[in-house]
Amino acid sequence: MQIRVNGNRLAVDAPEDMPLLWVLRDFLHLTGAKYGCGIGACGSCTVLLDGEPVRSCITVLGDVQGKEILTIEGLSKDNSHPVQQAWQELQVPQCGYCQSGQILSAVALLNETGNPDDEDINTAMSDVLCRCGTYPRVRKAIKLAAKTLRKGEAT
Amino acid sequence: MKPFHPNRRKFLKLSSAAVGSGLILGMSWGCSAEDQGSGNSSASSFSPNAWLVIDNQGTVTIFVAESEMGQGPYTLMPMLLAEELEVEWNSIVVKHASLDPAYGYQATGGSASIRKGWSTLREAGAIAREMLLQAGAAALQAAVSDCKAAQGKIIHKPSGRKIPYRELVSSAAKLPIPEKARLKELHEFVIIGQSIPRTDIPDKINGKARFGIDIKLPDMLYATITHCPVFGGSVGQVNASKARKIKGVIDIFEINEGIVVVATDTWTAFQGKDALEINWNPGKNTTLSTVQIADRLKKLSPGQGETTWQEGDAEAILSSGKTVVQADYIQPPQAHIPLETMNCTAHFRDDGKLQIWVPTQSPSKAHETAKLTSQSIIKRGLNKLFGAGSDDIEIQTTLLGGGFGRRLKQDFVSQAVQIAQRFKQPVQLVWTREEDVQHDFYHPLTLHKMRGALDENGLPVAWELFVSGTKISASGISPPPYAIANTKVVIKNTDEAIPRGPWRSVFAHYNAFAAEHFLDEMARAGKQDPLDLRLRLLGDHPRLQKVLKAAARGAGWPGQAGTGYLGIAAFSSFGSHVAEVVELRRSDKQGLVVHKVTCAIDCGVVINPDIVEQQMEGSIIFALTAATKSSITVKDGQVEQSNFHNYPILKIDETPEIEVIILSNEEEPGGIGEPGVPPLAPALANAILSATGKPVRELPVKLSAIKV
Repeated sequence: MQIRVNGNRLAVDAPEDMPLLWVLRDFLHLTGAKYGCGIGACGSCTVLLDGEPVRSCITVLGDVQGKEILTIEGLSKDNSHPVQQAWQELQVPQCGYCQSGQILSAVALLNETGNPDDEDINTAMSDVLCRCGTYPRVRKAIKLAAKTLRKGEAT
Repeated sequence: MKPFHPNRRKFLKLSSAAVGSGLILGMSWGCSAEDQGSGNSSASSFSPNAWLVIDNQGTVTIFVAESEMGQGPYTLMPMLLAEELEVEWNSIVVKHASLDPAYGYQATGGSASIRKGWSTLREAGAIAREMLLQAGAAALQAAVSDCKAAQGKIIHKPSGRKIPYRELVSSAAKLPIPEKARLKELHEFVIIGQSIPRTDIPDKINGKARFGIDIKLPDMLYATITHCPVFGGSVGQVNASKARKIKGVIDIFEINEGIVVVATDTWTAFQGKDALEINWNPGKNTTLSTVQIADRLKKLSPGQGETTWQEGDAEAILSSGKTVVQADYIQPPQAHIPLETMNCTAHFRDDGKLQIWVPTQSPSKAHETAKLTSQSIIKRGLNKLFGAGSDDIEIQTTLLGGGFGRRLKQDFVSQAVQIAQRFKQPVQLVWTREEDVQHDFYHPLTLHKMRGALDENGLPVAWELFVSGTKISASGISPPPYAIANTKVVIKNTDEAIPRGPWRSVFAHYNAFAAEHFLDEMARAGKQDPLDLRLRLLGDHPRLQKVLKAAARGAGWPGQAGTGYLGIAAFSSFGSHVAEVVELRRSDKQGLVVHKVTCAIDCGVVINPDIVEQQMEGSIIFALTAATKSSITVKDGQVEQSNFHNYPILKIDETPEIEVIILSNEEEPGGIGEPGVPPLAPALANAILSATGKPVRELPVKLSAIKV
């Protein structure tokens, strides 16, 4: 079976009912998406499917055929995506385990909304859990990244 | 025990350049012997002790023996050393130290890293600097007293001539190592006190960071375990026929703690586990419940406990007809639930070595556990299995996806060793979230019984504190910090079958809630302002007084009528002093919401202000989860919760604004990972008391259900 991940067409020999999370992690060794709950409740496994954030732990391989999958590894080559830069600037991660899910959810939000307010952030981010409590910085970093992205568009 | 020797080239390849800082963070799991600081210098490197190596290219490698779980040791510990070594921050490389006696017992907990490293790491850096100074003075043909070390160079002060450390590596290495060296005065610091960006962050924003669960090895197998749901039970009959039919399931067997499924990938192992039909022998705890434990604790009286502190005669005053305030507080068990579930990868190699990769707070304990398990395999005559038991064990500490105390226990290490000894290939054991929630070592259920007596002016004159629970401590409240003339502290330790372990801030969490909320109950009964009463009774604790005043000022204490409801609390723990003010507001929907938390911390000399702020934010959110959302309940000997749907943790939309005020001073550094947790729950309860007139006698408290 072939899937498109981070712009690459990759062959995987895994059953169709296997959740994408484990295909990425155990077959393709793309370990950025994390296992946290297995029931779509924590968001650590979030990847973008045609730009939409999905929980890869409950999205099966058979359902991603022909779609473009973006994982944290494909966001940029050098931490240069404005969301990553905002995360670095505001020192968001602590243990870091949930951050791939936080960052990709933020990227999806900013693709939709150039100037998200607190309510937009709450709606987009409230199901991505962080046990270390990085939420105040996640909120600030999304606003900072939005500002950078808006500036980029203006020039 | 020898440290691991990975391929050096691979090692460098896996290192990644940090964005912006120019800093390189070494691979987070282990380092080769030639890289390891050893106190053995070579012709091309200078290593006066285990903490650092300077090579002839000028790269300064600093080894960190503490586990990185988000609390910052990969940045804070090198800061301490680099400060005294007089090197530019950009010239350093940070690596995780191997398990080596040179670093002492390697365990990260009790908010102790900085307190331990404050002397050892600064001394390690200062000794190296003094040796480089001697070597540099000789090379410059100058007197040592005319030279100084700065920014990786030795400088001849009168002439300005200088020589970089990289050119002094071989000559410094030949000098005798001094036992002591001058430590810098606080005012001389250039690195300590700066908000230097964390060295581990660049790899945590691009998926490169390697946690234990991310270890991938050639031919590696994947395993998962199911434990008896009832504490203390064991495996009875197993029907594994369905599970064995699943494609990719390799083996199913019993180990000490339960049934293991080994498969070609993690998901197949999980599927195999779900397909098992097991009749457990539930053992003797089938009637165990948290309701029953709480009932038993409620029936206890101070007379059955052990007095840990006594001053004056609290009992006499309490029965002398004065106004008596009385309250019982119940706090439920809590689970740790780090987002990375328990896991460990183990490999009995062809050369007889047992190699382990594990996200652990204690590689030393992991080593002991692996050794014991491995040897018991031999003793039990099981050495016909592949991995025959080994003394030669290497522990690689990976990054930890959260710890909070859970990873001080090494049950998963023992399990991984028992599993891996059956295979030639490496095996990675990963627990499901359900096993993680149900087989934790929990923060214990506690009951505090408090009685206080007030004089005619409404001031407390007697206080009896009685704390009971499994393996509890009266630490932090024995004696309480408040100058109340007649005080008695009693504890009663019970021995319940729910496994207990340290949970972020341990004793301080339950003791702070009960003591600090009760103080507000006494203040209310005596018509005292809670802040004024605290300040009045804390005459012997100026640092607590200062954080209270700072937090109150920051929060606009006592608040304005009609806007919010404020509650304040303070607690000293792990060498630091923290006060927090919680501001509650009426929710748009129903009940109350936490609008803002203002936190003031005095942790002595501040190493990195931004990391202090991070830890306060994280501690407040961790504590808010326990105070308002989560609890573990046990019924019929089993934990009733299993995943985030029934052990919910705080979400971003429930997170208040947090303001952190750091009071810097010249006292010895205190801990920062835990001291921010204890004041939150009582500050919240005190705000609820202020809003409703009703105290909080049991946690967690559902804010949306509170009527104002």
